[in-house]
Amino acid sequence: MSRLVRAAVAVAILHITPTVILVKRPEAVTRLAPGADAFFAREAHLSGADAHRLNRAVDWSPEDGVLTFYIGKHGAATVGAFLFIRVDTPHGPLEVAVGFDPAGAIRAVEVTKATVETKPWVLEALRAGLTDAYKGLKPGTAPGGAATVREKVGELPEYMAEQVDKGVSRALAAYGMFS
Amino acid sequence: MVYELRRADVRVKWLVTCLLATFGLSYLFGAWMVALYAGFTPARVAQTYAGADMRMPMPPDSTVVIEHPMKMSEFAESDTHAVDMPLLIQDTHVHVPMYGVIAGALSLIVLGLGLPKGWQLGLISLLFAAPWLDFAGMWLSKLVSRDFAVVTLVGGWAMGLGYCVVTVVAIRQMWFWHQGGAA
Repeated sequence: MSRLVRAAVAVAILHITPTVILVKRPEAVTRLAPGADAFFAREAHLSGADAHRLNRAVDWSPEDGVLTFYIGKHGAATVGAFLFIRVDTPHGPLEVAVGFDPAGAIRAVEVTKATVETKPWVLEALRAGLTDAYKGLKPGTAPGGAATVREKVGELPEYMAEQVDKGVSRALAAYGMFS
Repeated sequence: MVYELRRADVRVKWLVTCLLATFGLSYLFGAWMVALYAGFTPARVAQTYAGADMRMPMPPDSTVVIEHPMKMSEFAESDTHAVDMPLLIQDTHVHVPMYGVIAGALSLIVLGLGLPKGWQLGLISLLFAAPWLDFAGMWLSKLVSRDFAVVTLVGGWAMGLGYCVVTVVAIRQMWFWHQGGAA
């Protein structure tokens, strides 16, 4: 019986808390591609070789082998491109939205989804200026957001910042290879 | 068998009542959570577990890019909670053992009810089949066809039905049954 109780407690502890929306996607879009009035979804169905190349670069493969970039335009001019990247953590998934300007540098990063459990840690990392550290990064560079907030936040917010770094590095690699 | 809840000590009856009340509370919040994250219609369940229908059966020989216009309102639709393969693996891993413990606890209550053996076997089967159906529906929706979303709904309702039958019969037999007469 005690084994049964221990199993139940372990399951309760391991239970993944539900996803919460930190920033609604339409709201994030207005910051990632400000001024855009027309949007296009560009779905890249990766070949086996390209998927392998991406996986080797950032140890990640998109769901079903499909990378979706969104392009924002104002008239004929491209305002920016952005993508939503999911990062799975032991505490549940995060969604990181990364926007690029027409020159191919990161314009803005938004954490759009977290979980009930991770939300306070993510918010603490964001309040410490996490996403400011990504501005201007171009494909080929490594994001170091977690390092910039390390002195200002606790251990778990720092861990979540590392997960956001992971999402940004995936976005940089995907954008650099396939945009 | 000497284990009969209607003749049990009041402390045992109280324990069973508290357990059922606690399960009931968690089921109510479970239903609320389902309403928030997956929904009670086959279409919403399919959207949660099967995702957007854009899979290619095999990776193409060379990367294929498809571009299409979209409206701002479609970004809001993407906020639908989606459960992909890694999350479903994780969900199955953490939920199924707990469902097993709950079905086991309810089955122990069933064994103490004054019901024909066939009814008890049927109820125990229902209690364990319901979570199996629930997760089978999720996996089949993801791997085979979104039409299997209905299996998840059947499983969810079966879980609720099993709990309600056990609770109603147990409460009735424990607290409203008089020796020498019917409840």
